[in-house]
Formats: sequence, C-alpha cells, structure tokens
Amino acid sequence: MSLVLKNVSKNFGSKKAVNNISLTLDKPGVYGLLGTNGAGKTTTIRMLLGIIKKDKGEITWKGKEVDRKYVNFGYLPEERGVYPKTIIKNQLLYFAELKGMKKAEAEKSIKHWAKVLKVEEYLDMTAEKLSKGNQQKIQFMTAIIHNPELVVLDEPFSGLDPVNTELIKNVIIDLVKNKKYVIMSAHQMTTIEEFCSDILIMNRGKAVLQGNLKEIKDTYKVNRVEIDTNKDINKIIESLGLEIEIEKNNQYKIKIDNEEVAHELLDKVIANKIKVNKFEIQKPTLNDIFIEKVGG
Amino acid sequence: MRDIITVAKFTMKEMMRRKSFIITTIIIMIVIVIGFNGPNIAKLFSNDNGEMLQGEKVLISDNENLYEGKLNELNQNDLEYKIEIENSTADEIKSKIQNNEIKAGIIIEKQGNDILFRYIVNDTMATMPENLNKELQKLYTTNQIEKLGLNEQKAKEILPEFQTSTEQTEEVKGNTVVIMIISILLFYAIYFCAYQVSSSITTEKTSKIMETLVTSTSPKTIVVGKTLGIGTGGLIQMLILVLTAVISAKLFLDPALLEIVLASTQVTPFVGVLMFVFFILGYFLFATLYAVTGSTVSKPEDIQAANTPVMLLTIVGFYIGQAVIQTPSGSLATFGTYFPLSSPFLMPFRVMMGLATTQEIILSLVILVVSIAVIAHIAIKIYSNAILNYGTKLNIKNLIKMYKTK
Repeated sequence: MSLVLKNVSKNFGSKKAVNNISLTLDKPGVYGLLGTNGAGKTTTIRMLLGIIKKDKGEITWKGKEVDRKYVNFGYLPEERGVYPKTIIKNQLLYFAELKGMKKAEAEKSIKHWAKVLKVEEYLDMTAEKLSKGNQQKIQFMTAIIHNPELVVLDEPFSGLDPVNTELIKNVIIDLVKNKKYVIMSAHQMTTIEEFCSDILIMNRGKAVLQGNLKEIKDTYKVNRVEIDTNKDINKIIESLGLEIEIEKNNQYKIKIDNEEVAHELLDKVIANKIKVNKFEIQKPTLNDIFIEKVGG
Repeated sequence: MRDIITVAKFTMKEMMRRKSFIITTIIIMIVIVIGFNGPNIAKLFSNDNGEMLQGEKVLISDNENLYEGKLNELNQNDLEYKIEIENSTADEIKSKIQNNEIKAGIIIEKQGNDILFRYIVNDTMATMPENLNKELQKLYTTNQIEKLGLNEQKAKEILPEFQTSTEQTEEVKGNTVVIMIISILLFYAIYFCAYQVSSSITTEKTSKIMETLVTSTSPKTIVVGKTLGIGTGGLIQMLILVLTAVISAKLFLDPALLEIVLASTQVTPFVGVLMFVFFILGYFLFATLYAVTGSTVSKPEDIQAANTPVMLLTIVGFYIGQAVIQTPSGSLATFGTYFPLSSPFLMPFRVMMGLATTQEIILSLVILVVSIAVIAHIAIKIYSNAILNYGTKLNIKNLIKMYKTK
C-alpha cells in the first residue's frame, strides 16, 4: 500500500471544505479526482501534499505520515505560475535544487525533459516571453523534473492545444509505465475515462462516489443507443415512444432504459431498408454519472 | 539549511539581475561621485567674485573723498586682485570693463548717514567679494577712529568682534548634522531592503508560483531564505556604494576637508561594527514585518495599501530616532533607545555622540533580537496561511485568525 487517506477532514471556519474523505492508491496508475468547483479537490490535494494541515484523519505514504521533508512528490497546481522575469533554466534549476537534486543532475534532467516537451529553445529566455501553453509545459517540468514517486496534476490539459495535450498525455503514460503514482484532477471527463482506473467524485467536501471506474460503470444499466443511418428515422423512434437526446445528419443519440428496445429499434430500421452505419448500445458515460452524482 | 541557502542564493541573484536594481545602483553611484565633487562644482558656480577676480584689476572710485586718500592702503593687504584708485563715473567704469582694462569697479558714495559701495561688473551673477567689502569697512572705521585720537587697541575694545558658541547639557561628540545624514542613509538602506522582501513575496503570489514553491520547501524556509537573500543583495549594494564614496572622497575631496568630515562623524571601528549589526537587525525586523504584508496581497496594485501600516511604523521609528539625535536626553531618548522600531536608527548614533553606556547598548540589542524572534514567529505563521489565500482582502481580524490557525 502506498498513499492512504483515511477519514480526512478540513474546516475553514464554519465551512466544511473536506468532510471525511478516504482513498487508497495501492498500485501505480492514474487516480481521478473529480468534483465541481469548490467541491474540495484542491484542499484535499493541498492536505496530501502537506501544504495545509488536516483537522482530522490520517494521510500516509508507504505507511508513514506524509511530511514534505521525505516524501518525493511532484505537483502541477491548477493555478498556473512561473517567475515572469526569471530565465526558464534558472527557475527549473531552483526548483530542482529545492527538491534535493544536485546541480549537474538537475541540468541533465532539464535537458531531457526540455527535449521531450519540445521547449529546448526557450530555456535561456525569460518566462514572460513564452506563450501560455509553453509556460504550462515549463510548470509541468517543475512537477516531474526530480523524478517523483507521486505526481499530482491539477487540470493538466486546460488551456493546451491538441498537439501539446498529446505531448503531456504521452508523458503521463510514460510516468505510469515507470511505476509512478499519479493523481489527476480534471474537468474533461473523457480525459479521466482515458487515463484513470479508479476515481473519487467529490461534492461539497464529501465523497459521493468512488472506486474502480469499470466496476462503477458495471453497476449502471444501459441508458443510451447511438445509431447512424442514411435516412431520417424520426418516425420509427416516435413509434417506439423513445426520446431523442441529440440528432444531427441522421446520427441519433436516443435515451433507452433497456437493451431490448434498442434491438427492436434496429430491427425496425433494417425492416424499412434503411442502411445502418453505426449502432451502439451505451452505458452512462462518466459525464452522466458525474452530473447525476453532483446534482448538475 | 540547504534549502534556506538555495532560496537565499536564488533571491539574491534575481534581485541583482533586475534592471531596476542595476539602474538604481548606478544612479546612486553617480550621485555620490557628483556629491564628492560638490566643492569643485560649487567653485564653478560661485557667486563670490573673489575667485573670479584673481589676478585681475579692480578700480575703486572715491569721488567724494570719504576715505581721505587712504584707499591706497588696501594694496598693502594680501588681496588676490590689484586695486586701482581713480576718480571715475559709473559710465567710465563700464566702458573700461567693456574694453577689458579692468574686471570690476566700485564707486563709494555717501547716502545720508550710510555709505554705499556701488559694485559694477559684467557678470550678472556676481556680487562684491566679501573680503574686499570687509577691508573697505575696516579701513573707513579705522580712519574715523584715528581721527578721534584713539589707537587700534582702544578701537578694538570699543568695537570687539562678537562670536557665539553652543553647548549641550550633555557633552556631545561629533557633528549632529553629519550624524543625522548618516542616520537618514541608514534608514533608507534598511527601508528599501526590507520593502523588497514584500514586493518579492507579492510577485511570487501574484504570478501564482507560490503553490509550486510551498510544495518544494517550507514557508519558514522561504521567509528566512528570502530575507537573507535580499539582505545580502542589499549589503552588496551598500558595499558598492560605500566603496564608491571612499574612492570618490580620495580622488575628489580636499584631504584637509576629508579629515574634518571624518573627524566630525566619530566613526571608530567599534561604531562601524555596531552600525553594521544594527543595520542587519533593523533590516530583519522590518523585513519580517514586510513579509507579512507581502503575503496578504493577491494583486500587485494592492501592495502599496497593504504596506502602509508597516511604512508608518518605520517612519515613526525613524522620527523618534531623529528627535532623540537632536535632543539626546530625556524620556523620549530612553524610550527610543530601547524601542525596537527606533533603536536601529538611533543606537549607533548615540554611541557616536558618546552618549550610550555599554549596558544600554547590550540591553537595546537584546530587546531588538527578542523582538525580531517574536515578530518572525508571528510573521512565518501568518505567511504560511496567507500565501495561499487569493481573492479576499485580508484585514487585521483575518490575520489574527490566521495566526491562531494550526
């Protein structure tokens, strides 16, 4: 067992920011932390990183109480920030040295990650001259430069273009391959679904759903059928008394409450000699589950 | 400790790399060089015609014979210019000046009971040389006294030169004005260095780097490291400026004048060390206060308002110091000597003036060190909680709450 949060709580005055949260990361991988704004994700992250003190509960890493002094963590905060007037290389060196690296070792690591993240040409520039996306890649470097065992990424893809998103995604995949523990908070549910095997959904400081993502999804019944045809099938859908969620260019997303009605729809479409390009019976997406749980 | 050094080194390098730091240092260096050239520059713009008239002819016209032919005696005095006596009108003198025959002219006239010296010269800024004025007055008075049958001794008894001297109730060494100037410089050095701690912290907060920083090291390390880094940077700046002053003084200042200035400051090696110690302690005291205000600000435009209370405290401390230097005894002096906000601006100068006992120095230092420890403890606690606070403006009530927070 590696990272364990047990019944952790934090109050700010009378406001319960985090209320009795427990989670366990027992094997390398990406753990998803979800919640609306103000749900308590950042407070939870700050507590597990030792930035703020918890009021109650236990946070341990490899069986020991978390302490910044000996835990090798990396952190990309939601609030993006770099020293605007400082040379990029100098600020990377500064953070690497604060994380206990020797200068030569740090320089080697900076060189490596600058190449991977395609920011080599910016190392001798001041941060204010860089685009937001590149500044974000620099900050991402500060989170991983010291080869941490646990990396906490708060909204790692927000504000990035598709090319840079792909770059960061590949780095996260490599981190997991290298047996690192990653906690990721994101608003894009597709990203979480892509990366995370386990999730925790928070609402108003409390855990409203947590566990293995696949197991969570298995507890849900099918709720949607997606069908792509070469003709309008509105009449057939109406005849079955179904509700269309989205319709665009003969592509339909239809709400259902069982698999049988979906097959019935397919049979009727084929019987009407309409060609079917795509037919998929779907379970709720993470987005659906999230909205259901936080009362969106 | 390793982290404190890393933070201090980074902060100092960043501070000294800034254009504002480099430009300020260069400007102050230029001001120092100009300042030490002050006497030379003053000579260039001097209104006193004595220098300008050196080796030149000055015509004196006593048309009313008020000096009864005694004006020739002026040339017996050691004046830097040659005196010519000739009865002339103002127009004749003007034309002689324009023809470069003479440099200046004086017409002596009686006006009622008074005597008027009409000084005629080409230069619009010029006034009559002080020594010539004095000599002319002396010559006239001596002549009149002699006519009364009195000798020079008797005349001096009747018209002695009146002089004044001032003594303080306590015997004070050194020149108060020079000491006050050094005290003002010390105040600015402490104030500007300490103020930079605040702006450095605000920059980290407003550029949102703080969250990354506090996961890398503890808030205590950041505050201590930053304070040390800026303090060292400030010391290096001061050293550069002091060196500039020393070199300028040696190069441009008249050695005799330099000796007078040095004697009047009373800066012995002991006082030098004491000034250094009080500078360091004063800096730490104000730097920790500014660390608190810096950490409470979320936007750069709010920094001025947040710093105002500390700035007022600094000014209060400084003025107590100045008041005591001017009136070195009494209850304010006792208070100012021990009050930590004023002692850094005051104690080294009381020592310079020869007014502080060893016990007073030690007690003042102890109070200052204890105050720094207490304020630093409070500052680090508030800083730890305030740095991650964005948005809400923090007031005293919030800060007390933050101090009490675990």
